[in-house]
Amino acid sequence: MIQMIGGEMPEFTEQRPPAGGPVHRHLAGRLPAHTRILVAGPHDDALVDALAENREVTCLLRSQPDAEALAARGVRVLCGSLAKLTETERFDTVIAFDGTGRLCTPEGPQLDWPESVRALKRTLRPGGTLLLTVENELGVHRLVDPGSPTVARDGEWRPLGEFATAPGRPDRLAAALGAEGLPVAGLAAVWPLPGQPTLLVTPETLRYGPLDALAASAASAVATAYTAREVLSDPRRLTAAAVRRGVGAEFAPAWLAVAHLAPRPAQALVLPPVLAAPGPETITEVAGSPDGVWLRRVIRGDASLNGPLPTGRLLEELLLGAAVDHDLPGLRRLLARWMTVLPQAIAENVVVDGDTFAPLDPSAPDRPDALTRFAHTLLTGGYTHPWPGVTDVSRMIAVLAGAAGLAETPPETPAAPGPDVRRDHAEQLAALRRRLADAEARNLFFETELEKRDAELGRAKTQIAAFSGSLGYRAAKAGLVIARKARNRLRNSTSGSTDKGQSP
Amino acid sequence: MHHGNHFYGHAHVLAEYCGLDPSRPPRIDGYLQHGWNVVDGLGAGTPYAPGLPIFVWSERTRRRAWSMGRPEATVIGAPFLYLVESIPGTAGLTEVRDGTLWYPFHGWEGQHVTGDHQRLIDEITATEPGPITFCLYWQEFQNARIRAAYERAGRVICHGYRGYMRERTDERFLHKQLAELRRHKRVASNRLSSAVFYGVAAGCKPAVYGDPMYLHGENEPTAARIRREWPELHGVAPDPEHARATAMDELGAGRLASPAELRAVLGWKNVTTEERAAA
Repeated sequence: MIQMIGGEMPEFTEQRPPAGGPVHRHLAGRLPAHTRILVAGPHDDALVDALAENREVTCLLRSQPDAEALAARGVRVLCGSLAKLTETERFDTVIAFDGTGRLCTPEGPQLDWPESVRALKRTLRPGGTLLLTVENELGVHRLVDPGSPTVARDGEWRPLGEFATAPGRPDRLAAALGAEGLPVAGLAAVWPLPGQPTLLVTPETLRYGPLDALAASAASAVATAYTAREVLSDPRRLTAAAVRRGVGAEFAPAWLAVAHLAPRPAQALVLPPVLAAPGPETITEVAGSPDGVWLRRVIRGDASLNGPLPTGRLLEELLLGAAVDHDLPGLRRLLARWMTVLPQAIAENVVVDGDTFAPLDPSAPDRPDALTRFAHTLLTGGYTHPWPGVTDVSRMIAVLAGAAGLAETPPETPAAPGPDVRRDHAEQLAALRRRLADAEARNLFFETELEKRDAELGRAKTQIAAFSGSLGYRAAKAGLVIARKARNRLRNSTSGSTDKGQSP
Repeated sequence: MHHGNHFYGHAHVLAEYCGLDPSRPPRIDGYLQHGWNVVDGLGAGTPYAPGLPIFVWSERTRRRAWSMGRPEATVIGAPFLYLVESIPGTAGLTEVRDGTLWYPFHGWEGQHVTGDHQRLIDEITATEPGPITFCLYWQEFQNARIRAAYERAGRVICHGYRGYMRERTDERFLHKQLAELRRHKRVASNRLSSAVFYGVAAGCKPAVYGDPMYLHGENEPTAARIRREWPELHGVAPDPEHARATAMDELGAGRLASPAELRAVLGWKNVTTEERAAA
């Protein structure tokens, strides 16, 4: 069923993908049954279906074709602008996982962030819950984006980017919602992308939790999302560095807020310290235990992930750190231990705490090319390393295998798919230019050497010919002797000196 | 590559360590540091093919090479250390060490030291507590007058000829040096030089004293800088522990590569399993 509320966009379909994914689906599943839900903005079908299982779902969409397609699947749809939404209908929960950026239309007022929040709030029943995603304009996803957020495209006729009015920090977001009469009950930073999170971590956990392991988890979440995507710099490193340095929440791509209109409901949605979807069918939670251990609990999917969260830093970062620091002994120790304990686990999936090497995701499949993948990373990722003379991957594999103490050098394999990093391209270009200039200079150097050797060879040939006693040479030599004698005689007769000290 | 890679049989020692034929070391893809120095590891005036790596002894030298515009340096450690590793000493069990192995400072071919050999010999005999072995550079060893002066004060040896243009290289130079060093308690010289560092690696207590015997036209501030930078190795009896820590760092101890790693780093083909089986 479709209800046109006004301000709809008849000729427009959404260009960017809708919000969704396993974490959103999981949260939707936790909402109380037999309640009325408003899903505001584009969200994926799987999410709407999960909600609709035992709840009354209404969707708000601005695109008429999109609204008609959804209605055709039997979903109740309000088609039009958020500004046209009336207070006649109230909901137990309003879901805006897509944020407030795609709720208004070219028709009517253009609501800014606080106005959008107020409009959504008006549709909540007393005690109702708002689930709202707020994109961080200074999030890592923005910092690495080669495109500008302020260019009008993909249905953005008003691309405000960092000029928009949304709060820029999780605590300010909580304060802003509180000021609107929507006290925040739960808040989480979101990775890898605002609308498609696979990792949620609360700001408290990002301050006091196991930062190294969280950095590894966040980098891992980002790695999956950015495979083969073009970026300015490597989002995995930026993400891990931000989390490890205690500014993970500030640089996360988005924040998810759970806010309530008074009074606070008895059955409130609680965000765990860490909620993750390491795979499309797996949901895990991480929580601290009283004895200081962070335990991972599988909510759905692979039970091998149950147990303590491995502590320590990501092996890949430790290896790269040792390489740029020219710490050869440290690098060899890490490589050797890795190849002894977990030779089939890629460096992006191993967490190191002292001598303990543990897989971050024990369910990840074995990779026999783990070491060769790292050789590619070291060579193409713009990292200084202790072997600057080694520039081709097969030799780098041999060096790393030797440093790791492997008896055999693994065969060369193609590079692992990863983000397509422009900064690395620039570095590679500069390196190639250097190598070309060196090769040209070397050519010149060898040419000079060759000339020198040629001259030496010529002299040697003359000497050999002299001793070999060929007739022609002996005749020439005799002629030379006669000529010298004649010259000396001439000199002596003209100068009258004897020239004894001079050699012939 | 450069014939300097063969000096003192360095390439031969590394080939042996890597499990290759030591009499025919393959071409090294770069330049080996062939002596301790306070520049970029290579000798001044080494004709250097641009862009090729240099293989230096220590991390400190690598950093210095970088500061001198040679970023393509790889630390592999001193070839002498590889030899010390592969020929284990008797570790004090039956080892008989006595006296001092003294290296009077020398120049290389074409350089000549100024200074009074006799005055240096007198100072050495007055200082050294035990018997003295003088190790002369081949140039001085062949000079009957200089050699006789040293022979009056002790035993005189020569480790051999380091070689030039890959000819007359004494491939056992370092082997002989290691064996001699292991027979002595002390190693000494009038200049801090490779031999003193090698002596420390071979278990000797180091000393650097006496007339430094400057080379003709030598840059004397560099010599002064060496004394200033490494005071712990200078004097008649420096603190052995402190001296050893510094000396081993300069030789690249703790950073030596495994045979397989070294082969790959030097651009030497890895021995395949089939080749190993055939051997």
